[in-house]
Amino acid sequence: MSESALLLEIAGLNAGYGEIEVLHGIDLQVRDGEFVCIIGANTAGKSTILRAISRLVPHVTGTLRFAGADLAGRASHEIPALGIAHVPEGRHVFADMTVEENLLLGAFTLRHQPDLPARMDGVFELFPRLRERRAQLAGTLSGGEQQMVAVGRALMLQPRLLLLDEPSHGLAPKVVEEMHDAFTTIHRRGTSILLVEQNVGLALDVATRGYVLESGRIALQGSSAELNQNPAVRAAYLGI
Amino acid sequence: MKRWIAIAAVIAVAAVLPLLLNPTGYWIRILTFTLLFAAMAQVWNIIGGLANQTSLGHAAFFGIGAYTSTILLLKFGLSPWIGMFAGGLLGGIAALIIAVPTMRLQGHYFALATLAFGEVMRVIANVWTPLTGGPGGLSVPFMPPSVAAYSFKQLLPHAYIALIALIVVTFIFEAIRRGAMGYRLRAIKENAAAAEVIGIDTTKVKLQTAVISGVLMAMLGTLYAQVAVFFDPDTVFSAASISIRVALIAILGGVGTAIGPILGALFIIPVEELMNDLFSASAAGLSQLIFGVILIAVILWRPRGFITVFDAMVARLSGRAGS
Ligand SMILES: Nc1ncnc2c1ncn2[C@@H]1O[C@H](COP(=O)(O)OP(=O)(O)OP(=O)(O)O)[C@@H](O)[C@H]1O
Ligand SMILES: [Mg+2]
Repeated sequence: MSESALLLEIAGLNAGYGEIEVLHGIDLQVRDGEFVCIIGANTAGKSTILRAISRLVPHVTGTLRFAGADLAGRASHEIPALGIAHVPEGRHVFADMTVEENLLLGAFTLRHQPDLPARMDGVFELFPRLRERRAQLAGTLSGGEQQMVAVGRALMLQPRLLLLDEPSHGLAPKVVEEMHDAFTTIHRRGTSILLVEQNVGLALDVATRGYVLESGRIALQGSSAELNQNPAVRAAYLGI
Repeated sequence: MKRWIAIAAVIAVAAVLPLLLNPTGYWIRILTFTLLFAAMAQVWNIIGGLANQTSLGHAAFFGIGAYTSTILLLKFGLSPWIGMFAGGLLGGIAALIIAVPTMRLQGHYFALATLAFGEVMRVIANVWTPLTGGPGGLSVPFMPPSVAAYSFKQLLPHAYIALIALIVVTFIFEAIRRGAMGYRLRAIKENAAAAEVIGIDTTKVKLQTAVISGVLMAMLGTLYAQVAVFFDPDTVFSAASISIRVALIAILGGVGTAIGPILGALFIIPVEELMNDLFSASAAGLSQLIFGVILIAVILWRPRGFITVFDAMVARLSGRAGS
């Protein structure tokens, strides 16, 4: 198997808030074109990994590289322009703005914004429901639709790497399925994805490779198939 | 759009009104201060309304402006028009100094930090006697009347200067609100977490609003000094009658809207003056009490400010005109 280039490289990452260290020596890679997931219990530090990549965690040491560039020393507002789009935990939309305004804001920091209508069309193809509701205020959408807006807003960047933090949390099963179909499509279109998911079965279904995080340490890693077969994973996360 | 027609009408009335009043009289004084406080509240609205940071320390910048231009006039004979810009510069620097450590604070914490900063400035002005004249205050020296010297025999020109200032800061407010900066601020206000991940530099944009607001507030301090002719630290650095009052005017009128501070000032300044006239002779403190009761009643009646009454009126009028 020929391996593609390293896109995201994390080595010996420690991170925390104030005095408390949450991540202890994380090593994690995403290759160009990969779909990787991070699974683990509540408070294991999954969101903190994504937030460290986006430079949103105050105390970080260790190596963080993206497409060859060092992320250390960069401010959080510089990250999207590098090609990393982050969909944070919870349904974070701009409630009093329309769906269209929300999407446009996703590409707000790009210097050149040549093909915004085309990019928006790409989002609407993925989530047709948003096209119908383009003029509606995002705050009045259903939970699933808001999450679509949040994902669509991230896609407006046409990122090389998409960070998804529990995108299907609290959504109806049918919407979750729709959402994961969309992720598969996004991945097939060429975007690398790093997905944090509580629903381990689903995560291992869509991702090709995974990491298991326990109390701020990588406890296990492997292909989705391997993790699916692993007795510890099955017992702890799949309830089998 | 309809709102702007209404605003044009208000400006036209405001432009004619001073001419109808006795140019040396009582009402023109109230009008001048109403316009000035509307401008101050509008400037507060840039940070308080657009950046959603409730400052209770704007007297700091106001006082810096009043003192800077007056001291430059006293010591060097510099025209207050120039002193106004020197004050603006210092006001902007002061705003930056206070904003850097406090901008990350939210809500009450930011309000308290700025309140303390205003008080610190008041204390400094009281003790730095060689420069500020200390608790005794400063008198603006009399200059032969001329526009260049910013000196007039009557209040009428002051009323017009205050009106122009109000129009200018209102346009600045609107330009920020509708521009890219306004979009960033709106994004931060509506969802800070989402604003972070789409690459908005939250700290920078908030600092920008703080500095713009500080500069303009200091410049208005010069306008005040020239009208008042005499002031002391407890007046221009007052927490109650400057900092809290401008915040109150904007909040009562409709925070974050261009018309709110104007409506708020049109109500608060004359009513407060009227209460003082009616009751201060009979019982000291009674006027303040009644004024407070009126404010509470208004806030309970219109929690989102007079702007809601105004919008309803405009809607009804234009609806009638349309049918
Ligand atoms: N802003 C913060 N300040 C202080 N501590 C924090 C902060 N954010 C997270 N933590 C702590 O860091 C630890 C890891 O949190 P994190 O959100 O990364 O976990 P998680 O694996 O994403 O959990 P969940 O599944 O609940 O989302 C937790 O103990 C949490 O309390
Ligand atoms: Mg999390």
